[in-house]
Amino acid sequence: MTTENSDTASDATPRTSPSHRSQQQQSRSSIFSVPTPIKQLFDRFPLLSYPANELPIRAPRNRNAHVLHVFATEQGAREGRPSWNPGCLRYQAYLKFCGVDFQLQASNNHASPTGALPFLIPATPTTTAGDGAEGGLVASRKAQPQPEVVPSSKLQKWGTQHSSHKSSDGSDGSEEKGIQEPEDIRYEAYLSLVDLRIRRAWLYTLYLSPANTATLLEPLYILPTSTNPFVRLSTLYSLRQAAQAELLKHAAVINADDILREADEAFAALEMLLGGDQWFFGASKPGMFDACVFAYTGLLLDGGLGGVADRGRERNEKEDGWADGRLRDMVRAKKGLVEHRERVLRGYF
Amino acid sequence: MASPIEDDVFEKLKNKTDPEAHKRNQDELNARAYAQHNKAQERLAELLDDNSTLPVTVSSVRILNANRTRRGFLERVVNPILSANQEEGYTLQDCLSEVGKATEKLNRFGIFKQPINVFLDRPDPTLASSSPSDIDVYIHATERGNYTIKTGTEAGASEADAYIHAELRNLFGGAETLNAHGSLGTRTRSAYSLAFDTPILSNPDFKFQVNGFASSTLKSWASHEEVLRGGTSKLLWRSARGHQHEFGYSGIWRQVTGLAENASPTIRADAGDSFKSSLTHTWINDKRDYPMLPSKGYLMKTISELAGYGPLSGDVSFFKSEAESQVTLPFGDTGITLTAGLRGGLLYPLAQRGSTTPQQSRINDRFQLGGPTSVRGFRLSGLGPHDGPDAVGGDVYAAGGAALLFPVPRVGKETPLRLQAFINGGRLLSLKNPSKEGAPLDSAAVKDSVKKAVNSLTDGAPSTAAGFGIVYAHPIARFEINFSLPLVIRAREEARKGLSFGVGVEFL
Repeated sequence: MTTENSDTASDATPRTSPSHRSQQQQSRSSIFSVPTPIKQLFDRFPLLSYPANELPIRAPRNRNAHVLHVFATEQGAREGRPSWNPGCLRYQAYLKFCGVDFQLQASNNHASPTGALPFLIPATPTTTAGDGAEGGLVASRKAQPQPEVVPSSKLQKWGTQHSSHKSSDGSDGSEEKGIQEPEDIRYEAYLSLVDLRIRRAWLYTLYLSPANTATLLEPLYILPTSTNPFVRLSTLYSLRQAAQAELLKHAAVINADDILREADEAFAALEMLLGGDQWFFGASKPGMFDACVFAYTGLLLDGGLGGVADRGRERNEKEDGWADGRLRDMVRAKKGLVEHRERVLRGYF
Repeated sequence: MASPIEDDVFEKLKNKTDPEAHKRNQDELNARAYAQHNKAQERLAELLDDNSTLPVTVSSVRILNANRTRRGFLERVVNPILSANQEEGYTLQDCLSEVGKATEKLNRFGIFKQPINVFLDRPDPTLASSSPSDIDVYIHATERGNYTIKTGTEAGASEADAYIHAELRNLFGGAETLNAHGSLGTRTRSAYSLAFDTPILSNPDFKFQVNGFASSTLKSWASHEEVLRGGTSKLLWRSARGHQHEFGYSGIWRQVTGLAENASPTIRADAGDSFKSSLTHTWINDKRDYPMLPSKGYLMKTISELAGYGPLSGDVSFFKSEAESQVTLPFGDTGITLTAGLRGGLLYPLAQRGSTTPQQSRINDRFQLGGPTSVRGFRLSGLGPHDGPDAVGGDVYAAGGAALLFPVPRVGKETPLRLQAFINGGRLLSLKNPSKEGAPLDSAAVKDSVKKAVNSLTDGAPSTAAGFGIVYAHPIARFEINFSLPLVIRAREEARKGLSFGVGVEFL
């Protein structure tokens, strides 16, 4: 039981008489300012300063790199493999499209400032944090520049700003660097297909379809949280509840057939939209929309999802983690989308 | 108009009794009562003395009014009084000392009202079953109420909370206690606990406790909120010489969540769930006369914890050990005392079952140092490694301090008020990874790293602060207001120049 109150010396010097204060008030803005001789005395302390202590071993060292925090395994993150969370994969792919050089960090929702992954910690502009090089100063809370965390809502903008290549059609020089999203009036409508219909089907298939629980949900989201069965059970329950609540926002009852049928229609529409083009909306380079579609198609067609391949079993397209493979089969039937996914994988991962 | 005579009357009324005379009367009364009491005591002692070797047989002990207490439970306490359980030559003196022991035990269960009265009586000689040496023992033990409910609010310098506390006493008639506690506050956001406590074999010095709890605490010095859910069970044992031992198991689900906007990468890396399954041993030998403000004596305390090793499993594995000592030396009868304290701790990472790589420590498990009740003159957790705004804690620490306490002039040494001058300091370090790339350490590397960390505790002077202040020891907590300045500090450590206020139970 400890409490700590009064602030720094400035407002707590016992020798400051009221008259002193009023004199000081004129020269400085704060009523709590310290008389100069006392301030000088205070400034002589500490008498001796050493360099800073080193950070613990688990503290991240990669401070001079941009680090994208996503759902991934430690190993997957090191190798830069696609995240298994569509929300994370979307931005992972997008940053890659932008040509931003970044590292991945396996993380979880608790770490995020918004409560949801992904988020990005930009590189520290100065020297590596925790190197202990700056001695001789009394540490203060402002001594160390702390990079501002970029939440997912600002990642697209951040990616565009930090893009390494000029805009594709930047021949006229008026374009800023980065990827320009196509100015198609249908853009928003198609995006909502992905964000609503396909997402709902994904939520249902992954979280609520009982068949996929053991093969996908548990290895991806439950087992990494803790080795303790109670913690896992509780996490599973809360994830399911969240998915259910999300689906019930749209409909009064959760009807799997409806959800999947809508998703199939959405995939078909996307297939039509893509047509014979390389990228959506006829762009010469992939953009946010491609990232959004790839976030789902990439995972649905990933045979190794859920660690099937890691477990040493014979990797077989027929035997991937999708025990309830209805959603996967819908994508498989769309040749254009399958090729689109291959194109992204080959070009950027 | 008041006449002089009237004034006089009022004067007389005012000084109805001369205070001196009143005091004299009172003293006389007291003296008389005291003399009487003494005489009675003497007579009793004489009587007992005369009869101390009187052989007695105790065939029955009656405990009156303990209606809700189990017979079996009480039997274990009073059995030694019965002659059947005594050797030959059971005298009245032996009997009385046994009775004394039994009542003292009953007192310590805390389920009876004080005082517990004892009567001795001779049984009816006409009864065929009675023998001339027979005496009956009656223990008059009135039970306390079987529950207490307390509610209240507390407000401190930067903390305020409201609580409700319920205690069910003597639940199953064996001095079992059930405690329920709930509180909501600013720093400890919420805390709920349910604890069951029972003496083993009717022994008040040997207890078993099970405890379930859930809490959420704001750890502002490390930009996060820690949510705990778990349970502990422990055995508590107090030896005849006053050593306390606790041996327990705890399983706790910890969640580092609710990170602040500017939380450092170190905290972000540790965010999320972890389950700690651990065995703990605590040893306390407290020989201080008055722990809040000792005038003489010493304290020794060690806490050892083994988490996640072998069959314990869980998500974290380490061995953690902490030792604490304090000694107080009085300077004669002046009320001036010198208190010196020394603390140290070590967290040794262990490998989990089926793995060869020891697990490095998390923010939940690492030590924190600094603050009004630890190393004064520093902010809360102001010492040790800091990442941006966060005190991320360390794996090894040592801290020491000395304080000279004087009675406040003209207030006297009997009051719990003291002036103090202190100097204290410490080091808090984390283990280092010799590889720059941050490759995981194997057991040998960890051993080496721990050794290096312990050795580097003495690299350079410890981070130190000195100052003076006022101490007030209230029966439930000790309050300190100190003025201090840092003498030695590491970059990024957070010292406090000027005044600080501390409330706590244990100070360095």
